[in-house]
Amino acid sequence: MNSSLFRPLVGSLCVLAVIFLFPVQNLAAAEDTAALKARIEALERELDEIKAIMKEQTQQSAIKEEEVEEKIEAVQRDVEATKSAQDEWKTYASKVHLAGYGAVGYTNDDPKNDRFSQVAFNPIFHYSFNDVILLESELELEIEDDGETELALEYMTIDWLVNDYITILAGKFLSPLGNFRANLHPAWVNKLPSAPSGFGHDQAAPVADVGLQLRGGVPIPMRLRYPAYANYKVFVSNGPELELNEAGDEIEAVESAGVVSNEDDNFLFGGRLGLLPIPSLEIGGSAAYGDLALEDEEDRNYTVWGFDGHWIWKNLDVRGEYIKQDVDSLPSSVAPDEQKWEAWYAQAAYKLFSTKFEFVTRYSDYNSSHADVEQEQWALGLNYLILPNAMVKFAYEFNNGFENEPTNDDRLFIQFAYGF
Amino acid sequence: MSNSRYKIVFYALSLVTAFILFPASSYAADKSNKAGDVSRGSREWANNCNRCHNLRDPKEFRDDMWEPIVMHMRVTAGLTGQQARDILAFLQASNFTPVTTGTSRGATLGLTGEQIFKQTCIACHGADGKGAIPGIPDLKERLNSKSEGVLLGHIENGFQSPGSPMAMPPKGGNPNLTSGDLRNVLEYIEEEFK
Ligand code: HEC
Ligand code: HEC
Repeated sequence: MNSSLFRPLVGSLCVLAVIFLFPVQNLAAAEDTAALKARIEALERELDEIKAIMKEQTQQSAIKEEEVEEKIEAVQRDVEATKSAQDEWKTYASKVHLAGYGAVGYTNDDPKNDRFSQVAFNPIFHYSFNDVILLESELELEIEDDGETELALEYMTIDWLVNDYITILAGKFLSPLGNFRANLHPAWVNKLPSAPSGFGHDQAAPVADVGLQLRGGVPIPMRLRYPAYANYKVFVSNGPELELNEAGDEIEAVESAGVVSNEDDNFLFGGRLGLLPIPSLEIGGSAAYGDLALEDEEDRNYTVWGFDGHWIWKNLDVRGEYIKQDVDSLPSSVAPDEQKWEAWYAQAAYKLFSTKFEFVTRYSDYNSSHADVEQEQWALGLNYLILPNAMVKFAYEFNNGFENEPTNDDRLFIQFAYGF
Repeated sequence: MSNSRYKIVFYALSLVTAFILFPASSYAADKSNKAGDVSRGSREWANNCNRCHNLRDPKEFRDDMWEPIVMHMRVTAGLTGQQARDILAFLQASNFTPVTTGTSRGATLGLTGEQIFKQTCIACHGADGKGAIPGIPDLKERLNSKSEGVLLGHIENGFQSPGSPMAMPPKGGNPNLTSGDLRNVLEYIEEEFK
């Protein structure tokens, strides 16, 4: 029937459709693929370009890194070189150092006169080799009353720092006996413009000597609250010289200027031991013994004794010292009598911090077999500290000496001192 | 005759000395190579360097100049080699001008404020903050009268009030301390002493 007619028609149409459709579809697919291919190729090209750029860039940055590294290294080398050049002055073995102090003063001694009375310059030279050898030398240049300038070698020693506890000194040294002459006389150290009575040149305290000295410090092995220390000085030296009075019948003074002669052919032996049971307290004892002789005479005994102490408590600084020299009698001598020189002082200083002012008071007493040199003194002082090592000192001395001697006159002092 | 007697004593003493010296020096050689220590040095400096004269400011001299000076003072004052090395280390550490770099601001040495105080500051300021030596003020007064920023600046850069005989060294004399360390130690002293 109809259906049998339609069926082959539908069938053949389907076949036709299939036959048609396929190539059309194929044609479209072929077009797409070509486009894709083109795009991929384009992409690939881009990728290659990017790769090339990337490659170039990494190469360049590698070169830059190298350059930077090189530069850093160069800078590092420069820094090292500069540093070692800089360190040169820290590490060199032989050092030269100039220290010292100067002082100028003004005096009014009642009833005499007013004057600018002191111009002194004490350069100190240090030459050191590592921490083994030290040469220390102090000169003293001072204008005298007559306008001449006096030059003196205060001390000159070569020190060998043998080990942590022992130093050997050879040369001219400040007398190790007592403390004032050795450590406290420099103008910026001394809290008053003058030395205590009896502690000046050729008075009761020995000043200097020439010889050999062993000194150092040791910890005291005791279980105390604070570590305790001791310091010691022992010496052998030419010793001082005896000086006769004008009449030539009395020994007037023991001159301890430090001489390189030893006419009596005797050495002086002595030393000082200082103990610091706590850091703020030092107690010292000194002694020396030897024989002295006048020219062409027999020997006579010479002894020195001394004690000194120092205590610091907050702003208060208290110190004192006793020293005595004794030359024995000798009946066969042109100057047969025994002679003694004895002096002591006590001093207290108090710092007022906020004002930079320091008050000082000192009592000193000098006794001798020679009544005309004796002196008793009260000194009052006020210091203005510009720096710890630069100050202006105002002081008044109430002196009680032998009548009509200058040692009996009261004195007003102004001193400007600088230690460097 | 006493001439010859003394000479014999002198030569005998020299011999004895030589015998003592040589063993002593080799003994000391073993023990003496302890390097200088800044915090021990600050204590030794404060204890010893005011015995004869006013304390000198560490900033007065360059490192190499302090060497012969401390040697001179070691001989003058009868200090041991160790005391001298410690004091030298302290002086050389206290005369520097601190450089403040941005990076060290937060960093610390990993010590607590208390540890730093006990290592570096106690020698001068004392365990109670009231001062271990003359010239050191009571910290309490300062902590109560100044701002934290001012105090920190003074600890870092050093400080000397007009008229004060002694200066506070920069970083207490210990250049290794960083700003962080200094803040820690300031916190500690504020807690303890204020
Ligand atoms: C025993 C006493 C004494 C003690 C302790 C002492 N000094 Fe001195 N000092 C002196 C004397 C004295 C002078 C003056 C120089 C001279 O006359 O040789 C001086 C000088 C100085 C000078 C000036 C430069 C120089 O070398 O002359 C400086 C700086 C100094 N001392 C620092 C110190 C230091 C730092 C200490 C601690 C280690 C110290 N002093 C401990 C006695 C002492
Ligand atoms: C060598 C001694 C010394 C050492 C070490 C030292 N100080 Fe000081 N310090 C001083 C002195 C001296 C002053 C007072 C300075 C002044 O007022 O002139 C001071 C003052 C201060 C003040 C008060 C500052 C002000 O503005 O008033 C503080 C805070 C202080 N110190 C903290 C420290 C700390 C923290 C350390 C340890 C890291 C330290 N100090 C280590 C000596 C020292």
